[in-house]
Amino acid sequence: MFARLIADSFTRRPRRKLLTASALALGMAVATAALSVSLDAGDRLAREFRSLGANLLVTPEADSLPLEIAGVDYRPLDSGAYLPEADLPKLKTIFWHNNIVGFAPILEVPVDAWTKSSQTVSAPAFSVKTALIGTWANHQVNLPDGSQIFTGVAKTNSWWRVEGRWFADTAAECIVGESLSRRAGVKVGDKLQIGPASLGISLVVTGVVSTGGAEDGAIVAPIAIAQKLANKPGQYRRLYVSALTKPEDNFARRDPKTMSPDEFERWSCSPYVSSIAYSIKQALPGADVRVIHRVADSEGNILIRVRSLLWLVTFVALLAAALAVGASSAASIIERRSEIGLMKALGASSSLVGVLLAAEQMLLAFVGGGLGYALGIFLARILGERIFGVAPEPSLLVFFVILALAALVTLLGSAPPLHRASNYEPAPILRGE
Amino acid sequence: MMPSPQRTDRKMFWRIIGRLLVANPGRLFVILLALGSGAAITAALLNLQIDAKRRLTTEFRTLGTNVTITPRRSSQDTSAVTMAESLLERIPSQSNGQTVSRVEFLYAPVTLTARSSSSGQSEKPRSGLAVVAGYRFAGGDFAGILPHRVVDGANVVILDAETCALGEKVASQFHLRPGERIELKVKRNAVPCVVSEVWNFGGTEDNQIFLNLASAQRLANTPGQVSLIQLSVPGTPEQIERYISSLQNQLTDVDVRPIRQFTEGEAKIYNRISGLLTATVLIILLLTFFCVMAAMTNVAMERRNDVGLMKALGGSVSGIVRLFFAESALLGLTSGFLGSTIGILISIWLGKAVFGLAARPRLIVYPVAMILTVLVSLASALPLRRLASIRPASVFRGEA
Repeated sequence: MFARLIADSFTRRPRRKLLTASALALGMAVATAALSVSLDAGDRLAREFRSLGANLLVTPEADSLPLEIAGVDYRPLDSGAYLPEADLPKLKTIFWHNNIVGFAPILEVPVDAWTKSSQTVSAPAFSVKTALIGTWANHQVNLPDGSQIFTGVAKTNSWWRVEGRWFADTAAECIVGESLSRRAGVKVGDKLQIGPASLGISLVVTGVVSTGGAEDGAIVAPIAIAQKLANKPGQYRRLYVSALTKPEDNFARRDPKTMSPDEFERWSCSPYVSSIAYSIKQALPGADVRVIHRVADSEGNILIRVRSLLWLVTFVALLAAALAVGASSAASIIERRSEIGLMKALGASSSLVGVLLAAEQMLLAFVGGGLGYALGIFLARILGERIFGVAPEPSLLVFFVILALAALVTLLGSAPPLHRASNYEPAPILRGE
Repeated sequence: MMPSPQRTDRKMFWRIIGRLLVANPGRLFVILLALGSGAAITAALLNLQIDAKRRLTTEFRTLGTNVTITPRRSSQDTSAVTMAESLLERIPSQSNGQTVSRVEFLYAPVTLTARSSSSGQSEKPRSGLAVVAGYRFAGGDFAGILPHRVVDGANVVILDAETCALGEKVASQFHLRPGERIELKVKRNAVPCVVSEVWNFGGTEDNQIFLNLASAQRLANTPGQVSLIQLSVPGTPEQIERYISSLQNQLTDVDVRPIRQFTEGEAKIYNRISGLLTATVLIILLLTFFCVMAAMTNVAMERRNDVGLMKALGGSVSGIVRLFFAESALLGLTSGFLGSTIGILISIWLGKAVFGLAARPRLIVYPVAMILTVLVSLASALPLRRLASIRPASVFRGEA
């Protein structure tokens, strides 16, 4: 009988039920979309922040003090320490290897560069003293487990704009900085001589790079060329690492040396920029790993703000959806006063009427909540694809949260009118008073 | 004198509306709740949306400087060149009403000699080459212009001597701590100073000694000259671009360039975040709109009996419809106003929670939220028009 009463109420006035259900579904769709976006956006945005470039800088620990002015190191080449390039694949074997997006070693050499004049054999067309930056453009790194990855400045420094193409890491090619190319009149396709003349190095210019930094006045070439010029085979001086990190909190800023073993474990198992730096230091002996504060700190700052902004917007959206849905279910109970009166006149107890109506509302809540979840996920997918190019994964957690929310909101909305209904005297209602 | 029939009509019209509104307080509350929550979320999100984008551009300034000004090199000269210090004063200090932080540097290689600290330890003097960065800044604090952390600082106030700050690498290279005295020397010029703090930047600045500009100029023997000016320009990517190009037009003898690493990254991230925010807000508003409309239609459908009664008493269809639309509009206006006020209060609180600064209430939000609410309210009364065609008798028999 109970089930029949409920079924009857649904079939008798389908339009009304449809309206209540659609209010529920739409409200829950708001909640689902907002929740899915907030859950997903943090990680996606963290990846976006990698377009700011490296957040970790690795230098030799035993190095002498660099005398760097305007991007040129004035130290003699034989002073200071170097790090072995052969150790670099180890970066992809550390605990946080999945968080390391890219890395690029750098070796700088002051050089003389000139072009052979094509028309006359007498003087060179131009000759300058500049810096040659040896690095990886898009280098193939063979990992210890046999797999391969490609990384280099083309990946870590996404703001470098190359007109022409990048040099190949194994060829005698180079790209020249924008202001150097303007000053010296070097074009793509020219042959650049790099001195000392005894080495006889000649590089084909494959592109002009503009970076807005010191590289604009320099030559960028494969690191092997720089190593040959510096006579430091297989060595580098600086390494830029771009890693996905978790924004630092107060706990992360503490000195790991002062932590208890438990705390230390928690610290080293969270991808804070400082704990990633720590594990890189373990992997590269003799290296000093520093956090580039202007990148890492502002990244953390903005991520925390955006995340909390989204959560609060989600919270407000949930609240508004809950109120609207609650109002809708309240309306659907109020409207049924005469029905309640009839049931009571026929001898139904107040609690039975309450249970009956509540069961009806719950059924609506689950149907509406389920539909709303589907609609919300669909919208969140469109949003994710449009903004990040990747759709968020539908989460089961969100599904249960939404169903629970739908049930709660419906019950809360129906409770006051139901409570009042239980006190109704059937006679006045049936008389239409 | 008898009132004209038209006036009686109008009076009656408003009386019916008044009765319709207050006859069932529970129903009125439900309507106000549904419409009001819709208006509140519209107002809150719109207000926050405008404010958050502006705040975000300020947040990005934790990245530090994003524009550099360097002396223009002639095609032959490759030696270190400098420009006039006074250039800093010619740079506009405001961009779109926000302060542009400016800092100028003079770099010079110096010989650093550590003298035994004032506590009287007899240690061998440590000395070596290092780069000194003379600096002077305007607008904002230095930590905001070039973000760093203070690794080691002494709480000493030194009145009779010049102070300097050391990059972390310089400090560790020469085993220096705050409070120790050092001497900086270029050829015959010498400047003694006391180390005040050790700074960690994580970049090449860690290899530098920070000294005030005038002393560095004295050391390098280049009075009134600097090697580099850096600016921290706030604003959206387009505003920054405009600022740079207008500055370049103004200063023709130097190169003004964006630090592309930061301007481009910033632009990319800013656009993503603001896109995310706009899209989220739009979706929420759209769904809320429909949700409130469904709830309101649900409420309006209950009016069947009233419509039936009015028709039975001889009310014209257009008159009845007008009556209900007027009621809806009134309800929309009231709950729109209440809801928007609550929404703006919510957004002020949200702004405080996220950015630590209350979001500024914008009046434009009021009319927008109210018009939307009235529209929803009117749209949800539309199904009542259909009821106008039903026969009163069937309503009373409970058939329709």
